[in-house]
Amino acid sequence: MGRPDFQIDGDDVLDHIFSNHALCYRVPDGRATMKLELQKYPMGNAFDELVGPGRVPRPAAQALLRYLEDLDESELQTRRAAVDAAIVTMGITFTIYSDGENIDRAWPFDLIPRVMPRTEWQRIERGLKQRLTALNLFINDLYNEQRIVRDAVFPAEVLAGSRNFRKQCVGFVPRFGVWAHICGTDLVRDRDGTVYVLEDNLRVPSGVSYMLENRLLMKSAFPELFEACRIHPVDGYTAQLYEMLAALSPRSGERPVIAVLTPGVYNSAYFEHSYLAQQMGADLVEGVDLVVGADDCVYMKTIDGLRRVDVIYRRIDDDFLDPETFRPDSALGVCGLMRSWRKGKVGIANAPGAGVADDKVVYAFVPKIIRYYLDEDPIIPNVPSYLCMNDSEREFVLSNLDTLVVKPANESGGYGMMIGPHASPAERAQCAERVRADPRNYMAQPTLTLSTAPTLVGDGLAPRHLDLRPFVLQSSGIYVTTGGLTRVALREGSLVVNSSQGGGSKDTWIVEATD
Amino acid sequence: MLSRVAENVYWMARYLERAENTARLINAISHVLLDLPRGASFGWDVLTRVAGLDQLFDEAYPSHDEANVMRFLVSDLRNPSSVLSCMQFARENCRRLRDVLPREAWEQVNTMYLALQRSSARITRRADRRRVLEELIRGRHSVAGLLSECMSHDVAYQFIRLGEYIERSDMTTRIVDIHAAVLVPRQQIPEDPAIALLWVGVLKSLSAYQMYRRHGFPQVKSAGVVNYLVKDAHFPRSVRFCLDEIESHLSELPHNTSSLRALRTTDRRIDGMKLENLSPVLRHEYLDAIQADLGHIHDEIARQYFHFHEQQAGGELPGALQAVAG
Repeated sequence: MGRPDFQIDGDDVLDHIFSNHALCYRVPDGRATMKLELQKYPMGNAFDELVGPGRVPRPAAQALLRYLEDLDESELQTRRAAVDAAIVTMGITFTIYSDGENIDRAWPFDLIPRVMPRTEWQRIERGLKQRLTALNLFINDLYNEQRIVRDAVFPAEVLAGSRNFRKQCVGFVPRFGVWAHICGTDLVRDRDGTVYVLEDNLRVPSGVSYMLENRLLMKSAFPELFEACRIHPVDGYTAQLYEMLAALSPRSGERPVIAVLTPGVYNSAYFEHSYLAQQMGADLVEGVDLVVGADDCVYMKTIDGLRRVDVIYRRIDDDFLDPETFRPDSALGVCGLMRSWRKGKVGIANAPGAGVADDKVVYAFVPKIIRYYLDEDPIIPNVPSYLCMNDSEREFVLSNLDTLVVKPANESGGYGMMIGPHASPAERAQCAERVRADPRNYMAQPTLTLSTAPTLVGDGLAPRHLDLRPFVLQSSGIYVTTGGLTRVALREGSLVVNSSQGGGSKDTWIVEATD
Repeated sequence: MLSRVAENVYWMARYLERAENTARLINAISHVLLDLPRGASFGWDVLTRVAGLDQLFDEAYPSHDEANVMRFLVSDLRNPSSVLSCMQFARENCRRLRDVLPREAWEQVNTMYLALQRSSARITRRADRRRVLEELIRGRHSVAGLLSECMSHDVAYQFIRLGEYIERSDMTTRIVDIHAAVLVPRQQIPEDPAIALLWVGVLKSLSAYQMYRRHGFPQVKSAGVVNYLVKDAHFPRSVRFCLDEIESHLSELPHNTSSLRALRTTDRRIDGMKLENLSPVLRHEYLDAIQADLGHIHDEIARQYFHFHEQQAGGELPGALQAVAG
């Protein structure tokens, strides 16, 4: 069984929201060379990010598409080969575990970028900031006064059923009251062009290193495009990440010692862990490298004795963080880490317990959470969601199983998900049974048609479905990446964006354009 | 610097150096094979013994012949010291160290490994083998250049150099010793011009021929070559030179007393060695003794820097007392 890159952080397969209409564009026989001709682009019935109705390029993508049409095919293939070679040389890989061995695979990358006008992006950016601000107020409230529960905006039974609520965190307020310092928010666009939040990844979201590497690849493949289009740079992320982490340091005045805590080289996201440590000049540490002293401070084991660590950017789950507090069998964590954190001797990002808001049922409450704490309307809408714990909504779900996607609240990686339009009657019946037995643990959403973008398939362009994961940072301030990681289902007919299953990624351009 | 990372860096350097020197060893053999005097033969079994790999080889192959030994030394992953194994370990270590090493160094090591893996099937042909190994040696030099020119000469760098020089001096003694594998008929005297040619092969494999001619004995003969490769203070692959480098890099590290002590023991032993007019048996014994000393230096470094905290575990935690600020 393969285990893919992105599932490690407790996330998602996107196959539930797809409709199968991707057509492969093939080159007519008998033509020695061909060009990418927009007039032959096989539009589907999804919203296309680059090509509008009547195959008219969207304003933000105009320069790009014109450039691609002018490029002859051999030139395009040359550049594609150069990029493929660069990926192998740079060692941009993700790891799949198969039969006990780990295999490094080259990162699948599509040359055609996804383009978004800055005006639209600015609105999304505001929405993402609004959302994370509210979520952090919410998490902090849950671990302290629980006002939102007392005011009956958030039901006590949902909290009681939460698997990611950590009682060990109750009564603690981390610096700035922020728990989720790094959030990867998955966005999708439906047929009518509306952008929705699909989920908030608040535990250990990954993918940002690929976003940065994708841009490097694009710059080397198409430098002339970067002269012609006004593309906003993405490289500010690691500096922002450093600043965000440094602000969590318990000691002031010195250059803080920051460590990235990884489960080790066999973790599928190891490339990213080492990449981020490298870019920040931080130490990449494993659990065995750290120890909590009698003074409750965290130290790392250096060749010159012990050295105090101020901030830990952890890339391991809560459960494995501290065998003294959580799973006693964890070999990845550090004994006493929670003690040190609660005494304010070390900063941890994301804070233990932040995952309480990373729950598909809690997700459905986010619009209410935003209104409750900020007294604002949500800028980016949620996908409409039906909570099975409410009698009327449950009945609606049970009688519309053939069109809905049913998701368990806490599972990740798409486990236990039922995709109505693709499921057999028996599978639907089993799903109904599970929902009736444990309604708190299920929610449902309508099946969306994910937007597409032109993607190099064989010798031509074909529409492929995609999503977008921007990353949001919060500690003393708040920051959103310019764009994010665009994931694309590369395989024809395949509707899964996970890298292990034929999914790939694209560079994401935020450009100046007049709409 | 983390103890675990120091150990990784050190081993990465050793593996890279071992890959290069194994490639050099193989090229030395190829030279020697071409120049074998009339009536002489090459002892493939002696070779695996000199390399310290005879047991492993015997488990993997039924007989000693050129094709088997070469496959074993170049591309057999069952042999942890084969060139391909070394490159695989070096790459794995390098992958763990992406946060410590300059990015280009990782890319170069990665590229070298991938290239070797692609061509390792072709190494049974002498001409191809030579090309593949020379390319590897060139690649290794560009890694060395990248590390020297693009990396801070920080603590990690000291460990890289320590690993390199310990491995290199060990391999130099083994390459000198391959001469023992040439079996000559009894009537031939040691200073026979045909046998002298074998020493030229050894020197060339270490890129030492030209420098030997400039700075060493006027003639190429066994006494001069062994003396040069062990005791010359200026040739960067001689044991003496490596030991001096080890000393200077150790001096940059904290808590170096016991490692330096082990180093000086080796220094004294080498100074005391009379390398002229050695019988092949005695020569082999001397080289063995140097290898054992180098092993001892390694043990001291590992104990002090890599496994220090393991020895502390169970005992009283040093706590804040030993904490280093900044």
